[in-house]
Amino acid sequence: MAGVSVGGGGGGRRSVDSDLNLVPMIDLLVCIISFLLITAVWSQMARINADAQVPGPPDPDKEIDPSPPEKMLHVEMRGEEKFTLIWKQGATVVNTVDVPRKPVETESVVRFPELATKISEEWKINGSHRDASDKKLDQAVLHTDNKTPFKDVIAVIDAIYTPKRELAGANEPVPAFNVTFSVN
Amino acid sequence: MSKSKSFHDQKMIVKPGRRLLHFIPLRFVQKRVKGGGKRSVDIALNLTPMIDFLVVIVVFLLMSFSTSGEIPVDKSIRLPKAENTLDMLDAPMVAITGSQILVDGTPAGSTRAIEEANRLQRIDELFNILKSKRELWKQVHDNSQPFPGVVVLQVDRDVPALVVKSVFQTAAFAGYPNVSFMVDRLPKSGG
Repeated sequence: MAGVSVGGGGGGRRSVDSDLNLVPMIDLLVCIISFLLITAVWSQMARINADAQVPGPPDPDKEIDPSPPEKMLHVEMRGEEKFTLIWKQGATVVNTVDVPRKPVETESVVRFPELATKISEEWKINGSHRDASDKKLDQAVLHTDNKTPFKDVIAVIDAIYTPKRELAGANEPVPAFNVTFSVN
Repeated sequence: MSKSKSFHDQKMIVKPGRRLLHFIPLRFVQKRVKGGGKRSVDIALNLTPMIDFLVVIVVFLLMSFSTSGEIPVDKSIRLPKAENTLDMLDAPMVAITGSQILVDGTPAGSTRAIEEANRLQRIDELFNILKSKRELWKQVHDNSQPFPGVVVLQVDRDVPALVVKSVFQTAAFAGYPNVSFMVDRLPKSGG
């Protein structure tokens, strides 16, 4: 076992070499490892957020805001060939951009990198809340047709969450957009 | 007789062989040198690398330890993958497995009617279960805090958007406007 030699000794005196018993320590370590292995969570589950935009009567508790409506980015994914990014202020269309729908599929993962890049560029030009002291986020609304598979919907939401911005008080950059899933 | 000693007697040239410790006139030294003694049966096992290894494993497992526990995911559901994700939270779980809709494992309707009708519709069973869950939450929390209205959807990646929209709309009508989709986390690609 592990010994600690501190020299000296002899001459009828008690030995100053002491043995440290390592067996209980090893037992403890093995027990901790067993516990941690049994309770370990190996799957990396996460969530991607989307608010609901459902038609219905206005909320009576909410005050009516007299200020002009903010610009919102509407992402249309109804076309087979392209996405359409529409900046709207209320009912007024401010800007429209078409992005080719080119999915990149790798091992059952669908991604739209071109759309993510374009959304980042658009936010830098048209985003209303880019300052770090501004606690509000820009709003993006996703419109999809009924046949689109769910993995494509998630890929587009993931692309909308790609642009990041600094936020005062936050430790790391936060997504520039808050996504709303339109059920219309 | 010649007084001069021979070359051999002067030990200028000696027979090759082992020299070390051979001239010490002690019996136990000679015994050890000739290799006559038995090998000791005591073997010292060096435990330091083993303990180092165990400590490294403990540190790694502690770093990856999660207090939230495993989230039950139906094996028939293949979740989509995404990069820009948030950590999971404790909320009612609505799973869409094949044609079944489950709320925390309890059957809450079927998707067949939606697919056959090919139009958006409210799923009454799901609506009632979510509504009762919301009322239960309010009773437990005694109106001391606002209802978070969060629900997590576990949806297979090939489910059509029509079904997702119907479940989404039903959840919103039942008082759960903050919907999260469960995904498999992809590592950050950087840049």
